[in-house]
Amino acid sequence: MLLRRSLSSAPIFLGVYIFSEAFLSQLRIIGGGFPIFLIFALLWCALCEPEVGAIYGFFAGLLMDLSQSSSGPLGQWTLIMILAGFTVAYLGYGENNFRSNPVSLIFITAAAVFLTRFVYLISGALLGLELGSMTHIISLLIGQALWTVPIAPIIAPSVALLHRNVFDTRVVQ
Amino acid sequence: MRYGGENRSRLLLITLIVTSLLLITLDLRGIGVIDGVRKGTQGAFAPIQNFGATITLPVRNFLSDVTQLGRKQSQIKKLQVENEALRLQLLDRASADAELEQLKSVLDLAGTAKFKVIAAKVISQGATTSFTQTITIDAGTKDGIRDNMTVISGLGLVGVVKIAYDNSSLVELASDPGFKIGARVAGTQQIGILSGQGTRKGVLQLLDNESTLKLGDVVLARGSQNNRPFVPGVPIGVVTAVDNAAGSVTQTADVRFFTSFSTLGVVSVVLAAPAGDPRDALVPQPPRPTPIPTVTVYPTPSESPKP
Repeated sequence: MLLRRSLSSAPIFLGVYIFSEAFLSQLRIIGGGFPIFLIFALLWCALCEPEVGAIYGFFAGLLMDLSQSSSGPLGQWTLIMILAGFTVAYLGYGENNFRSNPVSLIFITAAAVFLTRFVYLISGALLGLELGSMTHIISLLIGQALWTVPIAPIIAPSVALLHRNVFDTRVVQ
Repeated sequence: MRYGGENRSRLLLITLIVTSLLLITLDLRGIGVIDGVRKGTQGAFAPIQNFGATITLPVRNFLSDVTQLGRKQSQIKKLQVENEALRLQLLDRASADAELEQLKSVLDLAGTAKFKVIAAKVISQGATTSFTQTITIDAGTKDGIRDNMTVISGLGLVGVVKIAYDNSSLVELASDPGFKIGARVAGTQQIGILSGQGTRKGVLQLLDNESTLKLGDVVLARGSQNNRPFVPGVPIGVVTAVDNAAGSVTQTADVRFFTSFSTLGVVSVVLAAPAGDPRDALVPQPPRPTPIPTVTVYPTPSESPKP
């Protein structure tokens, strides 16, 4: 069942990834722009069960690692996205979840974008990657987290709709 | 319903984490398959990016106009002043001819240095998920481009080819935090290492602590063995601030790159360079004051009306 769902959601992830890499990356948007694929993946994971969130995080991270501009080794984004996917899914699961509250969902996604990129930065530094000027990095981190706040509510309904279509189990009698 | 099957979930999480750690290890060890996967992805992606670059051009231009609204306003004013000056110049044919001669004498950077170059269009400008400063150009190994070739614009150094794919190449910009280049100061020939800082400003660290830098000094590429990754003599930027702190081991300075990395449209990749070092031949000429032509008007009396 999970495999079937993963296969049916693969074109959606691939589509968003291609849009992000081939189209959105062309635009020089103020504040570093918005990482649409990361926002999409985190929103998607937030609507999943924790273990499914981790699996989707794995595949999203793998795609991000394959990006031509990814400076880290293959697997770095994968590792971070597994943990991020699991965490946001875990926070959204259970009785006191934030899924039913759109404001919490947006806030958690924005915080997750910031933290995910921050962890990527720190792990990159531990792996010996050059970081550059601190002001530039901080402005990028904050700029993209701020961008997430207006972007996430715009795409959240579409993500929820797609997620519902993929995960709705319809039993034909 | 509480989340069940915690053991299975834990096992799955551990499996995924171990897989990713395995990927990191394989990549850091330089396993060819991993590298091949990335190259294959990029090979498949290049045509889509090319298409994306074409259809996002109007949006890019619009965003550029919006972000540079203040500058555009001052540019318009400047152009209006220039326009007036040009109107005056047109009155004087001799002045126009002189200007024409000047235009004829202008050679592009590559022509002056006798570099063998290939021009390429910028089809992608990095990605929002990365902290690196890169561009992708629409020329690759099929056009003769190889890894570690110098990339220049009409103004100077742009960066270096990081990975050359079949039909496209990833260029690491000189502004990238990981970018380092051996540099020398035009005229004094002091040498040092220039590092990118993620912005249009780089930091030059001199190797010799007895040298002194001045504001306005032009910094050039020192060149590498066999001209890769850097051909010698390419202008990099100009010194804008010098750190003269007492007790510092070596002198450092801020260097403003000649190239504006955010507005790159077409670049050239240096395929081959002449055997000799062009030394300071490529240093941009300082702007010369333009003489304002004086127009003398001789009034001629109109014919008096006949009675």
